[in-house]
Amino acid sequence: MTVADPLISVVEDDESLRQAVVGLVRSLGYRVAAYANAEDFLAADGGRASDCVITDIQMPGLSGIDLKLRLIADGVRTPVIMVTARAEPALHQKAMASGACCLLRKPFTAEALIECLDQALAA
Amino acid sequence: MDPAERGDLFDLVHESIVVRDLAGRITAWNAASAALYGWSADDALGRAAADLLGGEAPEADLLATGRWDGELRRRAADGRELVVEARWTLRRDATGQPREIIETARDITERRQAETALRHSEYRYRNLFQAMAASFWELDFAPVGLMLRQLRKSGVSDYAAYFAANPAFVREMIRVTEVLAVNEESVKLFGDGDASALLGPCDRFWPEGSSDVYAASVVAAVSGRPSFSRETRLRTLDGREFDAHFTACFPPESVADGKLLIGVIDISKRVLAQRQLHDLQAEFAHAARVSMLGELTASIAHEVNQPLAAISTNASAGMRWLSRAEPDLDELRGINTRVVADAQRAAAIIARVRDMAMRRTPEAQALSVNAVVEEALMFLRHESQGKGVAIDLALGADLPDVLADRTQLQQVVVNLTANAIQAMGAAEGPREIRVTTALDGDGRVAVTVSDTGPGVTPENLPRLFDSFFTTKAEGMGMGLPICRSIIETHGGAIWARNNGDGPGACFAFTLPAAHA
Repeated sequence: MTVADPLISVVEDDESLRQAVVGLVRSLGYRVAAYANAEDFLAADGGRASDCVITDIQMPGLSGIDLKLRLIADGVRTPVIMVTARAEPALHQKAMASGACCLLRKPFTAEALIECLDQALAA
Repeated sequence: MDPAERGDLFDLVHESIVVRDLAGRITAWNAASAALYGWSADDALGRAAADLLGGEAPEADLLATGRWDGELRRRAADGRELVVEARWTLRRDATGQPREIIETARDITERRQAETALRHSEYRYRNLFQAMAASFWELDFAPVGLMLRQLRKSGVSDYAAYFAANPAFVREMIRVTEVLAVNEESVKLFGDGDASALLGPCDRFWPEGSSDVYAASVVAAVSGRPSFSRETRLRTLDGREFDAHFTACFPPESVADGKLLIGVIDISKRVLAQRQLHDLQAEFAHAARVSMLGELTASIAHEVNQPLAAISTNASAGMRWLSRAEPDLDELRGINTRVVADAQRAAAIIARVRDMAMRRTPEAQALSVNAVVEEALMFLRHESQGKGVAIDLALGADLPDVLADRTQLQQVVVNLTANAIQAMGAAEGPREIRVTTALDGDGRVAVTVSDTGPGVTPENLPRLFDSFFTTKAEGMGMGLPICRSIIETHGGAIWARNNGDGPGACFAFTLPAAHA
């Protein structure tokens, strides 16, 4: 892994799931920055620093969708992959409408994540 | 009788001496008579005794035998009734003709009154003893007194501790306690129609399991307490055990006498009704829990899904590390550790859900309220996040444990918090729930769930805990009444009010601290 490797930010409030996603992203050969909530991520200006963001939608405080809207408002175009355990179509539509480049249902496979990351980093 | 004849003694004796002639006129009247009847000698002399004092007895016997004695009812100068014990003697003249009657008398009014009062009291007591709808026993406690004195001599001073350590000694005390008398109700309750069958050793009526209550009553008796009462189980002659309220009285004079009066009331019907009520309440609480779990399915599924998703993700990462030319064993070890932890977490969540769903007899145990609150909120984390509600926990430090059924207590916390989340469903503005645990001014543990929703309208406030009262379209109106019945069964109190210093409502309950 080198500085040239893309930096992926993971925003997830559930600690064990965050560790798992961080581990998976690292196993794919990327650098990873982890945040327990959207507020910390935004405060650290994680959007500008990273090449792609993987965020949970349901979190205490700001949601993953709120996070994406803030990035847009700040003019940050970093692609955002959203993750949710929920199945409601309305939520999926809302996520896509906010500009998510990809939506993953928990639990997701490595292949699904790779596909999303490839898509996001190619953009 | 001439004054010369009778001398000084006449006025010095304490007994009343009255002499009358055969026509009944008083001819002598000593100082004691004046004191007794209130008439002076001047008043009395020459008057007819029957007129002055009343209460004459037939004189026929007197004339025949020369003597009479008995009790007379007399009247004093002030109108008081007197009872006197009188002795009449007939004096004859030298020719043997009756001449006068000498009466000696003393006042026994007070003694008679005391005797009558005692007789009435005994009569009332016997009547009560027999006629009361409670079972009464008179016990001979003297052999127990003897055992206790020997115990004291051998150096034992703490009877309670000695009894606790020596159950055989307690059994022996029960055995040597003799039933002296029982009333009708005792025969009905314990026997088979014959009161005499109940007399004798007391141990036939005391199951082993109730020995401690007997021991406690002995401790109460010797420590000078006036009475002792306790609920316990007693046994009938034919061996049937029943729930009884047992009372023993220790009037000092009876205790000195070695006698003891005990009362027994059959409370088996009440105990049965209480048990049925508890069962019913537990069933209602269970039904409400299952219904609540149904509403929280999405939240619970999410809680289980989180660790499963983590396990799945970890496994995917593991596959990546394994498929490298040189597998990264450190990464794999870390992943494996996390997989085990997540699997345990999923199992723990499922166990909690199963506890909530199970129907079992409530069981009080010492619990940390803080732990119960934290566990309860697990059921609601996803629900609150989905509704954009923040739950703020303010858990008091160093709180004493409470004695409660874990599942039922969790149910109350979940119910109150779920209500708060629902109440804020449509509300604008801040959506915050603050769950506080603290010690109140009376040493009870208080749990408060405060929200920033629309609050409760004042007319609904007093009805919130009524059965089938609901302000929700899909509500049954049983959640809060069941919360109340759970809290009250645990000896606590529950109430609701609107927040004075901001928006929203506040639901609170208190529970007594468990004594370690």
